[in-house]
Amino acid sequence: MDILSNFIMGLGVSLEPFNLLVAVIGLLLGIIVGVLPGLGGANGCAILIPITFVMPPEAALILLCCVYWGALYGGSICSILFNIPGEPWAVAVTFDGYPMAKKGRAGKALVLSSLSHGVGAVVGIILLTFFAPIIAEFALKFGPPETAAVMILTFSAMTRLGGKSALKSAIAIFLGFILASVGTDIVSGKLRMTFGTVPLMGGFNFIVAVIGLFGIGEIFLTVEEGLKMEGVKAKVTLKDVREAVGDLIHYRKILLLGSLIGCWLGIQPGGATPASFMAYGFAKGALGNKEKFGEGASPGIIAPEAAGHGAGTSATLPMITLGIPGSPTMAVIMGGLMIFGLQPGPMLFKEHTAFVWGIIGSCWVGNFLGLIMVLAFAPLFASILKIRFGILLPAIIYVCAIGAYAVNNRMIDIHYMILFGVVGFLFKKLDYPIAPMVLALVLGNMAESAARQALIMGRGNPLIFFRPPIALPLTILALFLFLWPTISKWRKDKLAK
Amino acid sequence: MVKADTIVALVIMAIGIIVLVDTAMLGSGWGMSGPEPGFFPFYMGLGVVICSVFVFLRAFKTYKKEAPGTGKRLIAEGGLAPILWVLIPSMGMVLLTELIGLHLATVLFLMFYMRVVGEIHWTTVILVGVMVPLATFIVFDKLFLIPMPEGLWGKYLIPF
Repeated sequence: MDILSNFIMGLGVSLEPFNLLVAVIGLLLGIIVGVLPGLGGANGCAILIPITFVMPPEAALILLCCVYWGALYGGSICSILFNIPGEPWAVAVTFDGYPMAKKGRAGKALVLSSLSHGVGAVVGIILLTFFAPIIAEFALKFGPPETAAVMILTFSAMTRLGGKSALKSAIAIFLGFILASVGTDIVSGKLRMTFGTVPLMGGFNFIVAVIGLFGIGEIFLTVEEGLKMEGVKAKVTLKDVREAVGDLIHYRKILLLGSLIGCWLGIQPGGATPASFMAYGFAKGALGNKEKFGEGASPGIIAPEAAGHGAGTSATLPMITLGIPGSPTMAVIMGGLMIFGLQPGPMLFKEHTAFVWGIIGSCWVGNFLGLIMVLAFAPLFASILKIRFGILLPAIIYVCAIGAYAVNNRMIDIHYMILFGVVGFLFKKLDYPIAPMVLALVLGNMAESAARQALIMGRGNPLIFFRPPIALPLTILALFLFLWPTISKWRKDKLAK
Repeated sequence: MVKADTIVALVIMAIGIIVLVDTAMLGSGWGMSGPEPGFFPFYMGLGVVICSVFVFLRAFKTYKKEAPGTGKRLIAEGGLAPILWVLIPSMGMVLLTELIGLHLATVLFLMFYMRVVGEIHWTTVILVGVMVPLATFIVFDKLFLIPMPEGLWGKYLIPF
């Protein structure tokens, strides 16, 4: 009952007129950011963080979260109408979304995708509403060894989810941690890896890294491919809505399955992309002989969209309860929380109950409003892409530069931004995953202090990370996840011989 | 592609070694009150070095096997020019920002890119090139009071 009354209070917070206004603005910006190539949720949030400094924390968080939801909705518009996936997890949607749009049913494809988003979101938020308090309660028992074990688990899961090569994922994670530790040591106050230079003393801010790696790097990729905008005209009619709803009811199992896959994988960091592909694969496996996949089949849109949004929503769960963001955008939002002096994690639930439930309430409100806005104005948002790329591109770089500068008011950050852009481009090309690096950069200080405190507790004995009852299974699971693919491959090779 | 892979692996390895040296000098062992400041980054650097050795070896092996000139290119044919057309002007913008401030540098950058690369009509170029920075100047510097870099001469160029 406690949950229910808290939840109603949270809804009340998110329905206050000012917060509602902020939510609508956030959604609007988010959808625009999602539609534009080169900008995504992570970037949109990163650029907006300086503006949120003038707001009360609740409104700031609602703004950032709504940009996230908006970007999730908006990303699909771009992939369906233009066959350009704005984010990696939107790739699976293009398989059937674009063909359907090309057949003249762009409106139906858009409605299908946004409604599936809505269902995925609802499943994710239900999970969040009911499990977040339980997990937070459980996480209160965590000491430094347990926190470190959760970190180890997070990052070992990521080496397998991130890219093709586990080695390269590991490199990306290590580099992220190294970047995080540049500057003043949080414990001893000594300067690390500054090589006597002043700019390095301030360290690397992860927001700058996000803007460079995702924003500028993405722009390089886009111009390299020589962006051709061949959009399909979209108009949403009542007939589209009726048919789409009919399809959703007909494929309700696929819809639910997709949402659940999304939520399950979304809790793990970097889970949205594999979730959307997995859901698409499942739908294809279940209905492959009845439907023509790849030519505009409805389940081919429903499954990945529900999974993508489900994953995006359930990424909130580990962020709020454990302080571990499940996606790069969540990492940026978490960074915003920390700037406000709110440390995400179990204590947040105890100390700032109204705040946390306000966010959860706004998840409901934001996703619902976002659905309506996308359905009503999808053609309008799509028309953004009619602006010539020659105008959009320098404007996007300008916005990125503002965002990078405003974080710390340091000129050097704009230089870093360009540098990170080049690095991001090379990493994307060579299959080094970027998301794990950003997460490591965000979690760097937390992971380091947890590991150091745990080692002090254990007097230097690393067995402390295997302390029962909580750390032990977590670390063993982490090692298993990390080593299993290698072992199974080795065994297969041996059997083949 | 494979060549670039080997080179990047080497660069990453070098970064790892620099980190190892620096943190080893700071102290990467067990000090008076637990792990020393270099402890954590030292092991991260060690991880980077070990992993990049493997990546390098793997890429180098494929590179050796590959006949020269047949491998996949890192940047698609004809893709390098547009990238440089973005990279060099934006670096120029950043350098200009140091001198005349972000907003004025952007006016030049926007106009240059739209006109030279985008080949957009002059009227649009001037309209967008002036309106966008002006709008952001009003929103950031005046409304939200977030000062943008004004460079060395910026305060004389925008006196209000």
